[in-house]
Amino acid sequence: MPSALSRRAAYYLIAPAVLILAITSLYPAVFSFALSFFNWNWGVQFDFIGIRNYLDLFRSAEFWQVLYQTFLFAVVATTLELVLGIGLAVVVDRLKFGASIIRTLLLTPLMVSGIIVALMSKIVLDPMLGIVNYVLTSLGFPPSPFFGTTATAMGTVIMVDAWWQTAFVFIIVLAGLQSLPREPIEAARVDGASSLQTFFRVKLPMLRPVLFTILIFRTIDTLKVFDIIFGTTGGGPQIATEVMQTLAYRKAFSFLQMSEAMTVMVVFSVIVLAISLVYMRLEERLED
Amino acid sequence: MVMDARRDQLERLLAYLMSLAAILLTLFPIVWLLSVALKTQRDAFAMPPKLIFEPIADHFLGLLDRPGFVEAFMNSVYVTVCGVIIAIVIAVFASYGIHRFRFRGKKLFGIWLLLAYMLPEFLFIIPMYVLYQRIGWYDTHIGLALVYQVHSLPFAVWLIRSFFKEVPAELDDAARIDGCGHLKTLRHVYIPLAAPGISATAILTAIWIWNELTIALSLTFSDAQTITVAVASFRGYTSINWGQMAAASIVAIVPMLVFAVFAQKYIVKGLTLGSLKG
Repeated sequence: MPSALSRRAAYYLIAPAVLILAITSLYPAVFSFALSFFNWNWGVQFDFIGIRNYLDLFRSAEFWQVLYQTFLFAVVATTLELVLGIGLAVVVDRLKFGASIIRTLLLTPLMVSGIIVALMSKIVLDPMLGIVNYVLTSLGFPPSPFFGTTATAMGTVIMVDAWWQTAFVFIIVLAGLQSLPREPIEAARVDGASSLQTFFRVKLPMLRPVLFTILIFRTIDTLKVFDIIFGTTGGGPQIATEVMQTLAYRKAFSFLQMSEAMTVMVVFSVIVLAISLVYMRLEERLED
Repeated sequence: MVMDARRDQLERLLAYLMSLAAILLTLFPIVWLLSVALKTQRDAFAMPPKLIFEPIADHFLGLLDRPGFVEAFMNSVYVTVCGVIIAIVIAVFASYGIHRFRFRGKKLFGIWLLLAYMLPEFLFIIPMYVLYQRIGWYDTHIGLALVYQVHSLPFAVWLIRSFFKEVPAELDDAARIDGCGHLKTLRHVYIPLAAPGISATAILTAIWIWNELTIALSLTFSDAQTITVAVASFRGYTSINWGQMAAASIVAIVPMLVFAVFAQKYIVKGLTLGSLKG
């Protein structure tokens, strides 16, 4: 097959995808980057102001707090989801009967939209009328204000995200566990290893590539959190649960500070893409 | 050995108990939401909570009169169908191109797909909002379905390509020897053999689009408003209309739960293949 011809065929095949991605991701990235050097607020004012948006952003205490909170949310939620998801997968992997129906039931949160998860948690966790506080007080615990105070709001939204996305970790780790070769596990058992030892010394190391992929996806996904926070606290109380994406939304659509919102997103995208690239590099090295 | 067998049994019993606890924790909020949707406001706010109550359909019926709610449901159906068709058709061609050919820029294309998938939504939402306001695509189905491709297209290419990898190379060669061109090979070999995988991809894409809020919230207003945006409009502290909010949520969840029951195998396959094989 002449290579010039087949190469052209390849370009025809990927052309539609390239075109769509150019319009929806390349153009916006360039546009955002360009507009971050202007002072456009959706009005007639449209002056080139150099890097002043960036300087203002880096000088504002609000930005650093929001950046810190974004990472706090991502790190804690990802860790929690990995630990719970792996634990749950190990447990379900031990089951003999009913494993398939149990798996289906545990998968339900992934079918539910983030905004519904948010509204649902507002009903269940309402400080006055919620069922959770009723149960807590009946058992003799003090009620929690949950989303209501700056001290508890962040912990609560993290908990809600964990309810939602632990199933993602669970289902993939479970499939990973079930696809592991039998021999090394049997060998460890014969040598007298307990199930805990077998898990930490034999199974977990074999699952490393899978766990790494999950880690990437959960980290990026939690950094980009929006609907869980938008639907529950809206970034409050004050700005205790504000994250980068809710900050950009507020700047662009509440205050029409278009250039400032794009500056925020340019900075944040650079961070997110840098993390993705570092992870990809690490993964390549792991595979070698 | 006897000790071992007993230890095994004990561990299994513990595993069942823990699974049961996890299921309760998982399903409880959804069941509670359903109960709130079926309760009168008085029953919903009752303390202690009413476990036995007379279910009412008022909140669900009320949704029919709520301006724009039924339309939002239909908009979601329409946008989901459009978005899935665009993603799958384009991804099938692109996946075949990546799978079957070596060409300059292939690696770059792969990285671009991944980075597009990773992009924070508001980086592209705000410029697309500006563009759509200019060209009149703001608040349209097609405009929304197009922007969804930033996420759906890389996802679909990635998955369909890994399903294409499972197609035996001999079948491809045989088709070639029989004189099939690329389009014919794609149509008669790859698409039929990867059909379960393509279905899995379509299902996962549909679930993602149906449940998406961030983009729909920013790029639609009324004509193309989706179900998640309609549900989100219940949020806010001033009016606590729990009953109708819960009913609307249930209406939005049900199609996806039906999906989950009937297409569970595909969903698990799609979710796991991407990360197990890369």
